[in-house]
Amino acid sequence: MKISDTVVGAGFVTAGALIIAGTLNYPTLAAGHPGPSLFPRILGGLMAVFGGLVSVQGLRNRDTTEDVEWLLLYKNTAFINAMFVLVGVLAYILLVEKLGFLVMGALLLFVIMWRLKVSPVKALIVAVVFNTIVHFLFAKIMRVPLPMGILWW
Amino acid sequence: MIDHIWTALVMLSSWKLMLTITICSIYGLFVGAVPGLTATMAAALLVPFTFFMDPLPALVSIVTMEAMAIFAGDIPAALVRIPGTPSSAAYTDDSYELTKQGKAELVLGVDVVTSAIGGLMGAVVLMTSAPLLAEVALMFTSFEYFWLAALGLSATVMIASTSPLKAGLALLVGLFFSTVGLDITLGYPRFTFGSTELLNGVDFIPAMIGLFGVSEILRNMGSSHLQYPITAVKAEKIFSGVAKTLWKYKLNMVRAGGIGVFIGILPGAGADIAAWIAYAVSKRFSKEPELYGKGAIEPIVDAGTANNACLAGDWVPALVFGIPGDSITAIVIGVLFMKGLRPGPMIFQQQPELIYAVYISFIIANILMVPFGYLAIKLSGTILKVPRNILMPAILMFCIVGSFAINNSFFDVGVMLVMGILGYFFENNGIPVAPIVLGMVLGPIVEQNFMVSMIKSDWDLTQFFTRPAAAILAVLTILTWLAPFLPALARRFRSGAAAA
Repeated sequence: MKISDTVVGAGFVTAGALIIAGTLNYPTLAAGHPGPSLFPRILGGLMAVFGGLVSVQGLRNRDTTEDVEWLLLYKNTAFINAMFVLVGVLAYILLVEKLGFLVMGALLLFVIMWRLKVSPVKALIVAVVFNTIVHFLFAKIMRVPLPMGILWW
Repeated sequence: MIDHIWTALVMLSSWKLMLTITICSIYGLFVGAVPGLTATMAAALLVPFTFFMDPLPALVSIVTMEAMAIFAGDIPAALVRIPGTPSSAAYTDDSYELTKQGKAELVLGVDVVTSAIGGLMGAVVLMTSAPLLAEVALMFTSFEYFWLAALGLSATVMIASTSPLKAGLALLVGLFFSTVGLDITLGYPRFTFGSTELLNGVDFIPAMIGLFGVSEILRNMGSSHLQYPITAVKAEKIFSGVAKTLWKYKLNMVRAGGIGVFIGILPGAGADIAAWIAYAVSKRFSKEPELYGKGAIEPIVDAGTANNACLAGDWVPALVFGIPGDSITAIVIGVLFMKGLRPGPMIFQQQPELIYAVYISFIIANILMVPFGYLAIKLSGTILKVPRNILMPAILMFCIVGSFAINNSFFDVGVMLVMGILGYFFENNGIPVAPIVLGMVLGPIVEQNFMVSMIKSDWDLTQFFTRPAAAILAVLTILTWLAPFLPALARRFRSGAAAA
């Protein structure tokens, strides 16, 4: 997802301004010396300046390269695959406590492998075996409290 | 000193540690040899495991892994023209051109031997310079630490391989993340948006796993079916002709080792930059610069030595000052903190055996590199055939569980995801992600030492320049800022002198 430097720079200018805005109500030290707000304000200011410079550079180089065809994204395999990963991890965060790691982890692995065109049988076997190994390694050997969910192991 | 070396050797000779070293060597070689998996990502994914180790094996495992990974990055560079890690990018074209000329064995042989020699040179410099610097560091106060961190930040931006502006933006993003949570002066919650999880700040390890792991997985999603056209290598032939080549370029190796270690010691610049600079210097002084990029062995000797020499150099500021030399040592500092150890001059006095163990493991790793590297080259065909559509989901699982394991928190898995998206977006727009990490580590050092110094001196800024050590560091920092303008200034000065 390459978007033009002009837009990227403008984004950083906005972010810098938001950071400074966020510090406006911060308390000051005794004798009015700046305290918690000092460092973030310097950062926000520099971010806006650097972002502005990147924007100007983008304009000067007439950098309008946008290799993202926004309207055709739904046909872009790489984008859809990436969305599968993102939505998959989100679903994992939301559901793993209910379903447990053994189920949810294997499910996530299976769905992504299937999406990446691994044959369903192979994907299922790899997902279950690999996920069980990860569970054993982390939950049993390293004692990480991975959620049990509906399975008890 | 002999006592400490002996203690370290005894600790290292346990079968458990030998096993750790072997496993981490294989892990490093695999990660390095698979394009798209970087040594930094490997280090971030190693952290959840180091969590359950003592400090010594934890450090040893990172040392071994990174040494092997930076060498193994050369393998796909030579065989399929894709650097395995960014550190091999500088000489990928030369390596591949030589492979096309039927000299793959020579390239890989030179790669493995120069890596080992470079690594050993780095280890020697680490062993000699770190204790000396630690003596100096004992005299440092908040003023000096402020300047050291500022120097690190400046070096990160100025020596970046891409646009300094964009590296600066990435650094500022990292510094901003470091401000999240309770502030140092008043304990005031900053940018927490009412979340209790954010009061302690953005946890560094899940952020790293996101920036270097998840973003890489996202990037690989488009090319999951990629089949590499692999050149078969006769591994048993890799060492023939290497000695002759290296003897011819022995001075190059010394020079490149020096460059590598120096770049390593500079806070913020890592092995990839060391390789690029060694390449450029090599070309500048070569008798046959016209061959560079078209299949010359000379730059491979130079850059291949420099990137491995850099690794040990990176540990110098990390151990002595707690200021990371690159993104991997930033992780090392994180690991030390998790173990309740504070990197800095005191660690040299309180736990010298730990420091000696780091030295010795650098030596062991670089000696083991030759036989292990030989095996990795022999198996390169198989390693490069590992199906990416199975490998990537598997790594994603390690990312998720690893992020969770640090604090047993799903919030951290969310942090990992957000950082993954951020890293993906940044890299695609030419904004490097390594400065984010350095910003996150150096942010608190800069801010705390600045605020402490200001309060201590009752807001008298001149104190930052009046102490001798602080003044030297201040001048170095300002020179770093001016570095891009120095050639132009020199030209103007020269033309002015000529006109006069």
